[in-house]
Amino acid sequence: MAAPVLELRNLTKEVSTGSGVPFVIFKDISLSVKEGEFVSIVGPSGCGKTTLLRVVNGLLPPSSGQILIDGKEQTGADHELVMGFVFQGASLLPWRTSLKNVLLGVEGRKPPKEAEEIARYYLNLVGLSGFENHYPHQLSGGMQQRVNLARALVVDPRILLMDEPFAALDAQTRTFMQLELLRIWSHTKKTVIFITHMISEAILLSDRVVVFSHRPGRVRSEFAVPLARPRNLDIKSDHRFVELENKVWKQIEEEVKAAAGFAAL
Amino acid sequence: MRGMVKLMSVLSGLVLWHVLAIRVINDTSLLISPLVVIAKGYDMLFVTADLYPHLYASSWIFLQGMLLATVAGVPLGFLMALSPVVRDYVNPWMTALYTTPRIAFAPVILLWFGIDMASKVLIVFLGCVFPILINSFYGMRVVSREFVEVGRSFRLSRGRLFLKILLPASVPFILAGLRLAVGRGLTGVAIAEWFGATEGLGYLIFFAGQTLNLPILFVGVAVFAILGIAGFQLLKVIEDLASPWRKELAGK
Repeated sequence: MAAPVLELRNLTKEVSTGSGVPFVIFKDISLSVKEGEFVSIVGPSGCGKTTLLRVVNGLLPPSSGQILIDGKEQTGADHELVMGFVFQGASLLPWRTSLKNVLLGVEGRKPPKEAEEIARYYLNLVGLSGFENHYPHQLSGGMQQRVNLARALVVDPRILLMDEPFAALDAQTRTFMQLELLRIWSHTKKTVIFITHMISEAILLSDRVVVFSHRPGRVRSEFAVPLARPRNLDIKSDHRFVELENKVWKQIEEEVKAAAGFAAL
Repeated sequence: MRGMVKLMSVLSGLVLWHVLAIRVINDTSLLISPLVVIAKGYDMLFVTADLYPHLYASSWIFLQGMLLATVAGVPLGFLMALSPVVRDYVNPWMTALYTTPRIAFAPVILLWFGIDMASKVLIVFLGCVFPILINSFYGMRVVSREFVEVGRSFRLSRGRLFLKILLPASVPFILAGLRLAVGRGLTGVAIAEWFGATEGLGYLIFFAGQTLNLPILFVGVAVFAILGIAGFQLLKVIEDLASPWRKELAGK
């Protein structure tokens, strides 16, 4: 079996509060992701999923624990550029056109001509040829997230981190973008960690679904998705899909209730 | 349509002024018709041409003061945004200087620097520098956390993060600061030229006021107003050119 490309060992993140008691966002997260694997993380709101992704990307330091990429521990500043980050919302730079937004990660690292060729390739891959010179505000929400995806892919990262990329889209666009992501992923074969609230989205896209507990977030359980690829919307009526969705939902429901009980104390 | 409304606003204001001067006040030692002012302005521009020395003198002081304020204000604003130490060090002085009426400084500055160019430019500078500094500071401070994270997720160096994310995100704020500075800079020109000047629009107005020459007084005021509007509009055009995305966002 291939060695994990990404491994998290007992990763914990706390922030200090005024009272001196640290606020624990997530605790003892251990997770191992194989090359080319698509892993989704689902969990109740506020379970620290988004913060976890930022820690993994090196945007925030962990309080304790280790992040290993290809078996090598990543420490602070020398996080290399091996991850692409697809942000939640309006993170495209409004003063740059789609092409220039996609270029952000490669300009200065590659000769200008080559950089632009790569950027155009990925814009084309996400289905946006012809929109190179559009500014973000001239694009629909779905198109903006396509640019966002192309921008993360352009550095050819080992790992793609996606933080609820479709959360702000309407239901139809969202479904369409899920299918588009399946198509694009089948071209790039990236290792993906995908954060979402939506269980059906997680199952449709992933090889494995990781369920988080309520705050402080911990890995509660993991499910392999027993559905063959390539997938399309038909699998949503497959009994294995429905069963898995119910199983995951029951766990999340318990977590939400536990969190509410905790809040009532 | 909106242009029409603006035109109507200007015209109706002038008509009201005219009627007030001719029918209500009817005393040319208190108020004169805008037609007289326009005629005098035409005269001073194209017949006697004695407005130009004043116009040149004031514009030159204004431009120098504005330029110095930009060169000093923008980098200092950035430094304050990026370094808490600089921020805490500059803040008390900035607050004190910003809130004190500038006219209070004018006599002291004239005392120290004499009545030549330097002191006038300094008075204009003091007027312009704070809106530019505060806007540059604020613009860089409020750059969305998400934009900064985008840069960091691509492992941009500090220099590149500044050039590619922080600076472009601040540009609209800086230009807005420059726009605010126009009005305050012109006030500075008027103040500077009231004290011991021998030319300039401020001197012209002051002199005309002393000698009860209402046509020249109003021409001076009108030229100040036109300069202010022109500067303001010019910066607006630059703003739209520099950040087309912002104009379209606002239009939505």
